[in-house]
Amino acid sequence: MSSLELREIVKHYPSGGGETVRAVDGISLTVSPGEFVAMYGPSGSGKTTLLLLAAALIAPEAGSVLFDGRDLGGLSEREGARYRLRDVGFVFQSFHLMPNTSALDNATIKLTAEGLKLSEARRRARPWLERLGLGKRSEHTPERLSMGERQRVAIARALVNEPRLLLADEPTGNLDSRRGRETLELLRDICHERAIPGLLVTHDPDAKELMDRAYTLRDGHLTDSVDSVEPAAIIS
Amino acid sequence: MRNLFNPRICGVRTSMLFYLYWRRLRSHLAQELLAGSGIAVAVALVFGVLVANTSLTSSAGALIQQVIGSARLQLTARSEAGFEQQRAAMVQHLPGVRSSAAILRENVSIAGPRGAKAVQILGVTAGIVDLGSLDTKNFGAGGFRFSEGLILPAVVAGAIGAEPGSLVTLLAAGSAHRVRVGAVLSGSLFGALTSSPVAIALLGVAQHLMGLRGRVTQVLVQPRPGSDQLVAGELRRIAGGRLDVAPADNELRLLDQAIKPNSQSTELFSAISVMVGFLLALNAMLLTMPERRRFVADLRIQGYDRRQVLLLLSFQALVLGVVASLVGVALGDVLSSAFFHRVPTYLTAAFPIGAKQIVHAKTVLAAFGCGVIATVLASLTPAFDLREGKAVDAVFRESGGRGETISGSATRTLGITGMTSIAVVTALVLIAPGLTIVGGVALALSTLLLIPAMFAGIARALPWMGDHIRSSALVVAVSELRATSMRAVALAGIAGLAVYGSIAIGGARGDLIRGIDRATAQYFGTADIWVGTGGDIFNVNRFEPGRTAAVIARAPGVASVRSYQGGLLDVGTRRLWIRARSPRDPAMVEASQLLHGDLTRTNRLLRQGGWAAVSSAFADERHLHVGEAFSLPTPSGTATFKTAAIMTNSGWPPGTITIDSNDYSHYWQTVDPSALEVSLRPGVSAAAGRRAVMAAVGDRPGLSVRTSGERDRQSEASARQGLETLAEISTLLLIAAGLAVASALSAAVWQRRARLASLKIQGYDSRQLWRALLLESAITVGVGCAIGGVIGIYGHALAGRWLTLTTGFPAPFAVAPTQVALTLTLITAVALVVIAIPGFAAARVPARAGFQD
Repeated sequence: MSSLELREIVKHYPSGGGETVRAVDGISLTVSPGEFVAMYGPSGSGKTTLLLLAAALIAPEAGSVLFDGRDLGGLSEREGARYRLRDVGFVFQSFHLMPNTSALDNATIKLTAEGLKLSEARRRARPWLERLGLGKRSEHTPERLSMGERQRVAIARALVNEPRLLLADEPTGNLDSRRGRETLELLRDICHERAIPGLLVTHDPDAKELMDRAYTLRDGHLTDSVDSVEPAAIIS
Repeated sequence: MRNLFNPRICGVRTSMLFYLYWRRLRSHLAQELLAGSGIAVAVALVFGVLVANTSLTSSAGALIQQVIGSARLQLTARSEAGFEQQRAAMVQHLPGVRSSAAILRENVSIAGPRGAKAVQILGVTAGIVDLGSLDTKNFGAGGFRFSEGLILPAVVAGAIGAEPGSLVTLLAAGSAHRVRVGAVLSGSLFGALTSSPVAIALLGVAQHLMGLRGRVTQVLVQPRPGSDQLVAGELRRIAGGRLDVAPADNELRLLDQAIKPNSQSTELFSAISVMVGFLLALNAMLLTMPERRRFVADLRIQGYDRRQVLLLLSFQALVLGVVASLVGVALGDVLSSAFFHRVPTYLTAAFPIGAKQIVHAKTVLAAFGCGVIATVLASLTPAFDLREGKAVDAVFRESGGRGETISGSATRTLGITGMTSIAVVTALVLIAPGLTIVGGVALALSTLLLIPAMFAGIARALPWMGDHIRSSALVVAVSELRATSMRAVALAGIAGLAVYGSIAIGGARGDLIRGIDRATAQYFGTADIWVGTGGDIFNVNRFEPGRTAAVIARAPGVASVRSYQGGLLDVGTRRLWIRARSPRDPAMVEASQLLHGDLTRTNRLLRQGGWAAVSSAFADERHLHVGEAFSLPTPSGTATFKTAAIMTNSGWPPGTITIDSNDYSHYWQTVDPSALEVSLRPGVSAAAGRRAVMAAVGDRPGLSVRTSGERDRQSEASARQGLETLAEISTLLLIAAGLAVASALSAAVWQRRARLASLKIQGYDSRQLWRALLLESAITVGVGCAIGGVIGIYGHALAGRWLTLTTGFPAPFAVAPTQVALTLTLITAVALVVIAIPGFAAARVPARAGFQD
């Protein structure tokens, strides 16, 4: 069982006029296995930086980011890529699907990067699309899918390698409230079901009630902890 | 009150149009410069090729017009020996003649301190002033008197290092003369004359130099208004069937016929260049399309209606198109003068073609228009977003590619059209070989039409490839190509067209060179040593043999000496190459050039006299078959020959006629040779024989002594030089296409950085992405190259057939695998090498860029 631990991490960016933006300024947070945690905050509050740190896309200036006990700050570019390929599932707001490529092939992208044959990658991706309700639309290209369907393809792509950490950046930003809620429920259920930690960055106020925990980030600090909610029942 | 200086168009003030474009330039200067450069390169390519194509005839045409002045008719000799000057004097007194001028025109060489140059000497009388020939009205303004010595155009004087007052050596009719340069013509006053390979002298001086006292070769005649028919009839009476009466500018028609195959090949290349240029410009504009679509969406969100958006798009495209096309025309001007502008030696031996680059307004307009139209068409692509029912902000919500793709049904239709086009071309050229040029353009179009189907095929093969090739790059690369977007097709299209053109024309050029080389080797192979006037690649300049032949015959190592005679003869629109061989020659015709007839019989018949071997184009024109008789105008009247064989044109486009030298002496009424053929005794080397013959010739600088190998190489070089422009255009086309594909791919890759960043977030590393980008580029270029290569080889076969059947050139078809491989390698290598760097940079995009979309 793996957990994500952020320990006193600091990340600053230079900004125009010689000032420094304190994107993350001494944050500590642990996301346990099976726990889905939301991070709220205004634009520029450091939410995305937190995700970048968790995905080993940037390294903190101070503190440490640990996943499964391993410090992500010291990973080389190649090790970081391998970590994201094998351990992380990432869901974007704007989906980042490959155009004119079927939903099925979009979902296989991580598996082929690992060196799987395309037919094997497709065999492994197909059940995920079916589970996400896209079984009959797996050969459709993103251009022929609705926004909600595109998001589900992106989720399938994130999960197809059976990640041990789920990261989501505004996954409901382009969806209506009903589709948004469904998406969040799905992500939460997957975290619970697979007992993996999940970290969500969102503006969606309705997300709170679906989260195990929710925080607000302001000026690089976790200024308050939104009332904890009862962990949803783990789907057996 | 209406503002006259700032009117509203569709409700938008003109100043606003300029202001918005200015804003665009400030915010997207790099993209606009990239697009502008692409358009400029395209226009330059089109302009350069068009100018090269028209300059040859235009510069010769300008000189011919200058020479004839206001003359409308001419009386011309049928050999360089000319006719009596008294006849010219008679012309002036004919009824209906307003003015006339006698001229002696002969091929000579002039040597100065810097080198020698083959020119045509024009011996003229004061009569040319009445005709206004040679821009004589400007002679006074030139600061010299038209009196003594030679008048040299600046280009000739510059080439040989002559100055007014200096002495130069004139080599004519086998003799050398020291002549003073009276003046050098330069500046715009004298037009094409300043860049033409001529030398002007008073008639008496020219006659003395040529050893043709009292003889002229041409009389230019200006009839009084309405008297042309009368004068022509009178001239024919004077001609007495021994001279030609023709329009004064007849040489233009002869030149057109001579350069027709060259022009047609260049026209085909021009057409391909225009297409490549158009695609280049289109591509350059497509690079800015995503950003232009966002611009359109922004405008509509702010309340601009469709007409106003269209107006803005058109205006911006027009400004970019006009500016870039103007730069392109300037670039093309440099390109054409630096690379394409070279006059083939074989043509200057028969026509006074100058090196002046002549640009017609229609050429500028064609190139300029091509650039502007391509820019406007490409920039209007975002107008698809203005369709009814399309959301105003749709572009902001697209995952990419939409509106730029070619649908499956369109791909099928295009593919079927392409295949049908190839079938139709095949049928057409089989029925009418003359339509091969049109077929060539249709094949080029087929190349483009088949590309989407090829992309679709590759995409369909992905599952198979994915099971056989374990590559993380494959899915990413193919997914981008799957879109079969306009851009990918345009990119592959540029590569395909360049490869098609290069292989088709390059292959035909190779066949032609091989054929001409073989013909030349056999033509000169009849003797070990050739003695001639030098610089005369056709052996058509006669000389006074004196006792030279007899002296050479006694030289050590010499077995025999034979007189070779030849000349150029104007028949209809053809300036034929007459070749008269000694009956003692081992072969009368080149065995490899025989198309119809038996070799042994042909040699026997020609030696017998009264028979001729003729080129296929001449035979076709006269509907001649082997054994049939035909008439030929000669200096002694009309001669009748029987057709012994039908040959290729041996590299001279208007055609050749080969006869026995006894026939020539009889009909041309001269025994003067234009070359001496020397055979050496067995065991005597060519070098030793050459030394012995040179010693025998002694101090006759007007004669040159060369081995058959040297003459062979001289002719081969001339033939190659004549075809050099095609090779240069082909190479430049390939390089331009390679660079265009690479720059467009680079820009396209750069625009995809956000998507690449997202792949990084998914776990791809930089190396995997770089490999994917290179693979995608290789597939794009490879698709174009493969289709272009296959259709190019087919085009090569058709072009070779056309050369042999329609033009009569010797062009034995053979695929040149090395050339094909080199062409494919060159374009792929240029594209891949150039894209490797931006591809590497794009692959190293920080993953966080995926969050900035």
